[in-house]
Amino acid sequence: MASALVRRARGSAAAAPALWAAARGIASVGSDIVSAAPGVSLQKARSWDEGVATKFSTTPLKDIFHGKKVVIFGLPGAYTGVCSQAHVPSYKNNIDKLKEKGIDSVICVSINDPYVLNGWAEKLQAKDAIEFYGDFDGSFHKNLDLEIDLSAALLGHRSHRWSAFVDNGKIKALNVEKAPSEFKVSGAEVILDQI
Amino acid sequence: MAPIGVGDTLPDGQLGWFDADDKLQQVSVHGLAAIKKVVLFGVPGAFTPTCSNQHVPGFINQAEQLKAKGVDEILLVSVNDPFVMKAWAKTYPENNHVKFLADGLGTYTKALGLELDLSEKGLGIRSRRFALLADNLKVSVANIEEGGQFTISGAEEILKAL
Repeated sequence: MASALVRRARGSAAAAPALWAAARGIASVGSDIVSAAPGVSLQKARSWDEGVATKFSTTPLKDIFHGKKVVIFGLPGAYTGVCSQAHVPSYKNNIDKLKEKGIDSVICVSINDPYVLNGWAEKLQAKDAIEFYGDFDGSFHKNLDLEIDLSAALLGHRSHRWSAFVDNGKIKALNVEKAPSEFKVSGAEVILDQI
Repeated sequence: MAPIGVGDTLPDGQLGWFDADDKLQQVSVHGLAAIKKVVLFGVPGAFTPTCSNQHVPGFINQAEQLKAKGVDEILLVSVNDPFVMKAWAKTYPENNHVKFLADGLGTYTKALGLELDLSEKGLGIRSRRFALLADNLKVSVANIEEGGQFTISGAEEILKAL
């Protein structure tokens, strides 16, 4: 899947990042996010009791993306530094601006189980603004080629830090950090300019 | 791998742990358990109800009694990453003795033969619920639950055996 990435980082000519991105073959602007990950579902963050009550149901991607303007961001892990202190707050604090621009949902996805994600979302008091979904087996990120091996940090296969604006399933903007510890292009301010 | 049982030697393995100074460490099980009496108990998942509300509190609350009976270390292991284990440990401010250890990739759980597939619940491969007592790495008590129950793997049963 070696497709070139056009990343509209704010104000910069994306030469070096495009080379790096092309080598990695990430899902690109213009592609359909649902078709890129066929048969994949995500698990809405929930308590165990909610899981039992809904028979541990999963949400297919088309229910999340079809007919909607969605801003989605992915991060390596619940309860980790940049994710907790910068990435989620960036979207929580800009939720009104995002809604003003016609965004229907703001989604946070990571390779965590839905119960850990729920505990974290409640701790960050972000559940009102953001919908949290768990890609517990990594299949969503694997299909989009947004996976990174963080086994050295005992995290296993996780997501890169990234953000995207998806309109009725079509990726209109896609920003991926060079390293998961960085937080330069995947925040709310950048994507607000790209909507 | 067959589940670990009485008479077996506790296998070695690396687990993740944020120590008292908040530094991420990789600790070896043998390093923690050799020449000591240790309780090792495992749970399917951080932030899930039976684990959080019953299994873990049992060991936290009985820690002093366990120590009085000669237990040197009380080790909790779960297939979660160390950040999640640290956050979960923080929800028990009264805990003084239980070490929350992360078997992030499930390797140690597999070495114990105690893995459990909970994929349909959104958890992936996790650990069975269990409690072991080991004396200088020799397992003297192995209480392993079937499924998600919580009947024999609590602190009470370990205390009875000491």
